[in-house]
Amino acid sequence: MEEMFEFRLHGRGGQGIVVAASIFVEAVFHDGYYARAFSLFGAERRGAPVTAFIRVSRDRLMPRSRIYQPDYVVVYDSSLAVETSTAGLKDGGILLINAGESKGGNLFLSTVGDSPYRIYAVDATEIAWKHKLAIGSFPMVNTVMLGAMASLSGFASLESLIKSIKKRVTARIDANISAVSEGYESVKEVEGLVT
Amino acid sequence: MPFEIMSGSQAAAAAVQRTGVDLVVAYPITPQTAIVETLANYDAKGELGCDFVSVESEYAALACCYGAAAAGARVFTATASHGLAYMHEMIHWCSGARVPIVMANVNRTIGAPWCLDPDQGDSLSQRDTGWMQIYCSGAQEVFDITMQAFLLSEELLLPCMVVFDGFYISHTYEAVDVPEQDAGRNFIGPPSFKAQIRPGSPANMHGLTTGDNQIHLIRNRHDTMLRAPEVFQRINAKFKETFDRSYGIIDSVIPPGVKTVFLAAGATAETVRWSLPKLKEAGLIQLRMFRPFPCADLRSVLEAHDVEKVIVIDRNCSTGMGGIFAQELRSAVYDLKKPPAVQDIILAGGIDLTYEMLESILREAKTEEHVEQKWGVDLK
Repeated sequence: MEEMFEFRLHGRGGQGIVVAASIFVEAVFHDGYYARAFSLFGAERRGAPVTAFIRVSRDRLMPRSRIYQPDYVVVYDSSLAVETSTAGLKDGGILLINAGESKGGNLFLSTVGDSPYRIYAVDATEIAWKHKLAIGSFPMVNTVMLGAMASLSGFASLESLIKSIKKRVTARIDANISAVSEGYESVKEVEGLVT
Repeated sequence: MPFEIMSGSQAAAAAVQRTGVDLVVAYPITPQTAIVETLANYDAKGELGCDFVSVESEYAALACCYGAAAAGARVFTATASHGLAYMHEMIHWCSGARVPIVMANVNRTIGAPWCLDPDQGDSLSQRDTGWMQIYCSGAQEVFDITMQAFLLSEELLLPCMVVFDGFYISHTYEAVDVPEQDAGRNFIGPPSFKAQIRPGSPANMHGLTTGDNQIHLIRNRHDTMLRAPEVFQRINAKFKETFDRSYGIIDSVIPPGVKTVFLAAGATAETVRWSLPKLKEAGLIQLRMFRPFPCADLRSVLEAHDVEKVIVIDRNCSTGMGGIFAQELRSAVYDLKKPPAVQDIILAGGIDLTYEMLESILREAKTEEHVEQKWGVDLK
């Protein structure tokens, strides 16, 4: 039985986590893995919490259940509930959050407190604004987070992500490629709590 | 290989696009919307190659399919849950008139209250309507079975429902081996049926008849549907030659010496299949065709392996009786020489099935007296 790696993504309706998950599946497939991603949401509405699950394996056969003990938790919006987001994350697992110097990420991190996880952050909101990736006042952080996810997990190369973005993203392709690259390069481990 | 990353819903739409249909009738409903949305996108890009009609309701969608199919067109529509319930009367009219139609139904709980999770009660509530029903366990299967369903439906002049779980399949992105459009169309060919109203043919245009005549039509429909397994196997033999994949009306994985098997349909079957090597002492019967019910195949596989216990995963519940797959199985096997004990695990409301639950079910099966019915939420 091939080893399987599990990701759980927490975001809000409209942030594009479903699209991000499908881009990720395609990129890791290109790099030699099978992957499956699916999302759970109520009736689609902007701003409501959305959860997506991704499994990666060399084997095409994988279970079709939700993920309760993920290896990776990815938080797109640091105003989401900490307990719900980190529930079941394995000891030594990776927690990736969208958090910057002056954003609510500090609060999220201080709530996580001393944890058995390795915590990484990327300032996806700032990067999305920089590349003018927003719908009105709503920054589209998905491609930045995607870059960070791929970089941390090592399942997809930046080249494969860009290839998949070119195929699956229909607007602002250049800006999204810049965003995914910046996410890929700038994600960093959080040493202790950010104050 | 021509793999594409797509969701189960997109796989259904891609299969329709590659089959070469004459008409797609569309009305959206969660979690099926992506099927008609994908077909609408093909149409907008001029890649659908057939008429695409948006209608005002699910009832109208199926009425429109009926009219076109009665005129000899190959038609497709998709729905879910309340949409399927709203079609209920037309569902009977279509099978009674003996028109071939392929309809995807994405399982979703029927209210009240509103719920989006994938209870199978929507499609199972249409059990007795004269439609064939095939349950798929993943996007590849959705793609392949949707294509095959046109041939099956047209040969038997009976409509066919291709069924799969909302979210766990409809919204799951995965790699699907997708043939080029030409390969798909060459395999299926043009519609082979003719809508003919003539003496001796069961096809009709909704005229008035008496029970004395109607019984012959109902009997003909029943006898014809019982031929579906044989036709399905023939289609799959041909499909395997072309695409190197094939499906059974049931598919079983029963390791030597294993006496306890799970029976599951749809997404849960794949979760069981993945879990088997870790569970060790369990097998799987994936129920793919539900109507007609594969009594003969089930009996022979259970007898051949001397199965002592079947644990049925029912993501549904017939209030006042219990899980529907378990009921059907019991009536199919009660008179075997050594009928297996049947345990029904009810996941009504479309609740999740995990490896840990399967482990717990098996553990309890070994340590407890036989229990006929258990609710998924009570598993420890």
